[in-house]
Amino acid sequence: MSLVENARGTRVRVGIAAALLVLAAVLAVQLDVPVADIVTVGFIERALQAAAPIALAAIGGLYAEKSGVFNIGLEGFMIFGAANTAAFVWFFGGESVTQGDLWLAILASVAVSLVYTVIFAVLLIRYKADQIVAGLAVWFLGLGFGPFTAVLLWGNRNSPRLASMNDVTVPALAEIPILGRLLFDASPLVLLTAVLAVAAWVFLYHTRYGYWLQAAGENPEALDTAGISVTRVRYAAVLFSGAMAGLGGAVLLAHAGSFTGTGDTMVNGRGWIGIVAYLFGNYNPLGAAAAALLFGGLDMLQIQFQTAGIQLPNRLVNLFPYVAVVVVLTIWGSTRMPSAVGESYESEE
Amino acid sequence: MSGSDSSRGRAALDRAAARMLNASVLQRLAIATASTALALVVGLVVVAAAGYDPIDFIANVFEGAFGDDAAVSRTLKFTTIFILTGVAVAIAFRAGVFNIGVQGQFVVGGFATVMSILWLAPFLPENAVGGVGLIVLGTLAGIVAGGAYAALPGVLKAYGGANEIITTIMLNFIAVGVVGWLVEGPLRGEGNRAPNTERIPEYVEFPSIVYDSPDFSVVGLAVALAVVVIVAVVVARTRFGYDMVTSGHQESAATYSGVDAKRTIVTTMAFSGMVAGVAGAVFAIMIQGYYSDPSGVGTYGFDAIAVSLLAANNPVGVVPAGLLFGGLDSAGAHIGLNSDVPVQLIDGIVGLVVLFVSAPELFRMAAARTGLGGDDR
Repeated sequence: MSLVENARGTRVRVGIAAALLVLAAVLAVQLDVPVADIVTVGFIERALQAAAPIALAAIGGLYAEKSGVFNIGLEGFMIFGAANTAAFVWFFGGESVTQGDLWLAILASVAVSLVYTVIFAVLLIRYKADQIVAGLAVWFLGLGFGPFTAVLLWGNRNSPRLASMNDVTVPALAEIPILGRLLFDASPLVLLTAVLAVAAWVFLYHTRYGYWLQAAGENPEALDTAGISVTRVRYAAVLFSGAMAGLGGAVLLAHAGSFTGTGDTMVNGRGWIGIVAYLFGNYNPLGAAAAALLFGGLDMLQIQFQTAGIQLPNRLVNLFPYVAVVVVLTIWGSTRMPSAVGESYESEE
Repeated sequence: MSGSDSSRGRAALDRAAARMLNASVLQRLAIATASTALALVVGLVVVAAAGYDPIDFIANVFEGAFGDDAAVSRTLKFTTIFILTGVAVAIAFRAGVFNIGVQGQFVVGGFATVMSILWLAPFLPENAVGGVGLIVLGTLAGIVAGGAYAALPGVLKAYGGANEIITTIMLNFIAVGVVGWLVEGPLRGEGNRAPNTERIPEYVEFPSIVYDSPDFSVVGLAVALAVVVIVAVVVARTRFGYDMVTSGHQESAATYSGVDAKRTIVTTMAFSGMVAGVAGAVFAIMIQGYYSDPSGVGTYGFDAIAVSLLAANNPVGVVPAGLLFGGLDSAGAHIGLNSDVPVQLIDGIVGLVVLFVSAPELFRMAAARTGLGGDDR
């Protein structure tokens, strides 16, 4: 994509987003919505927590797609990430879980996700599996084996209360109004997500490896000619995407504190929303994280509506993120995909 | 994903389709069988690893699927729904449109069936004739609702460029949420303690022939098989079916020959959703008799994706694939009552089947390496 085109695309996106915000503000004033009761610091904090898992999966997914492989299995990897973290917390901590156990469980779960992703990547790249069907399969596997794990361990699709991540508080700094609570009295996993988003952006646009990654998706022949193995770059990107989605699931669990395996499990579409987040963010890690924040905010509106005394059925308010996804996809449907996505590449050597 | 991008995406699909079509029927059958067998083997390994007796498990699977009359009628009950939802998926996948929303269309269709029967019942005689009339009208309502709910993502894809995989998944969540809210509150049956609609009248039911089961009738299975025949004929023998497949796989060729590719996407989705609507209607009339919170009605529309893929998206192939999945679900119901192995394992095995079906190359390479039918080397 040429730089000019990219800049125009970004301007259009930001413009439309701004227009939507203005529209929302006008509606809020017209309908006399108590905005101050809805947009509170607590709300932003909850929105950030809700956004972190989506953002992590989205960043992973965009790396895979940039490299030319569509990892549609994000949702499934998130389910595995959440279920395995719960299982490891149970193993490490038993009845009295420490924060250390929780961190260890997250690490172990990401490692397991990585192993699953190796199998997935080999099927996609070596055995040229249909990327869409294989990705759906990962989702189905998660929907089956996630709750299966829970039933094995706890005799129920839902785990008992395990442990959730405590906020990290920096003394003094946490006293700063608004920002103090968001930055210095926040979940370390939210901060980790922010750091990873920035790092992913720097890596993708400002390092040699980032260019290799983009070339693998846009022009694999050129990369091959330059003596870089397209296959290796793609393996690396897919492995990263699986690990990030697994981390997303782990973060979701660490914030919730227990595993829910009923219905579509606690992941409940967040992996799919992650895909939309990176499309909306124009394949830019920072854009994807911003889009994830939008969906996270919509996800948390329910609590705000309750405290603001707005009477809307929960069941319907919970659907806002899904409706937003459909609207966003329809308006931004013309996102430009990397040109070699979905094609397997065979070197001429 | 519009313009040149969609043509690139299309090109990738074309290659996938070409690969699928190149595989001979025999090869496809072999791949389907191998995928299922391998999935079951992995499932058994998981059973053993989890500390259960795999032999006991497989015995329970067979007993639960075909052990006695009750098991067989339960298997055929699930098979009926899987055939219908599987055909719904096959219509779309064959045309290169990924309708993952059959679950939502199935829910919306079934709910529309129940509500229309409840609303229309006072206007028709309370006897068998009125019952048949209500079944027909209710099914029509289900077809219209399912078709419309599928046409929406079709329109969004054709005219807005919205990826149908994601919009249909989102619409599944939305269907479950909205119908769930309706049966909880506004449309809950009077005095119902559970979040359910009222029951449809007793006389609105399929007759019990051969199997005396309250929730399975051979008539339901016959409806499913009739739909298979109709869809197979439409897909293989009509202009519409031909346009559907060509515009799915060779958009430019279809456009040159005067086919409106965008409109075809919408009609394909609508057709697929209409069949999902029939599935919802049969489920509502034959199995449930009322509508409950759809987050608990079963994932027929998701499993249907596996059914269709196993059948290489061929409507006729959906029948044996549907029987296999009907048997698996029926075994799951039996295992849930008679064994300690978590039933969720069956869902996992479904996932494994899909995973293996996605990589036919795996089996081709394995076959070539072992010297078994390695004809494409």
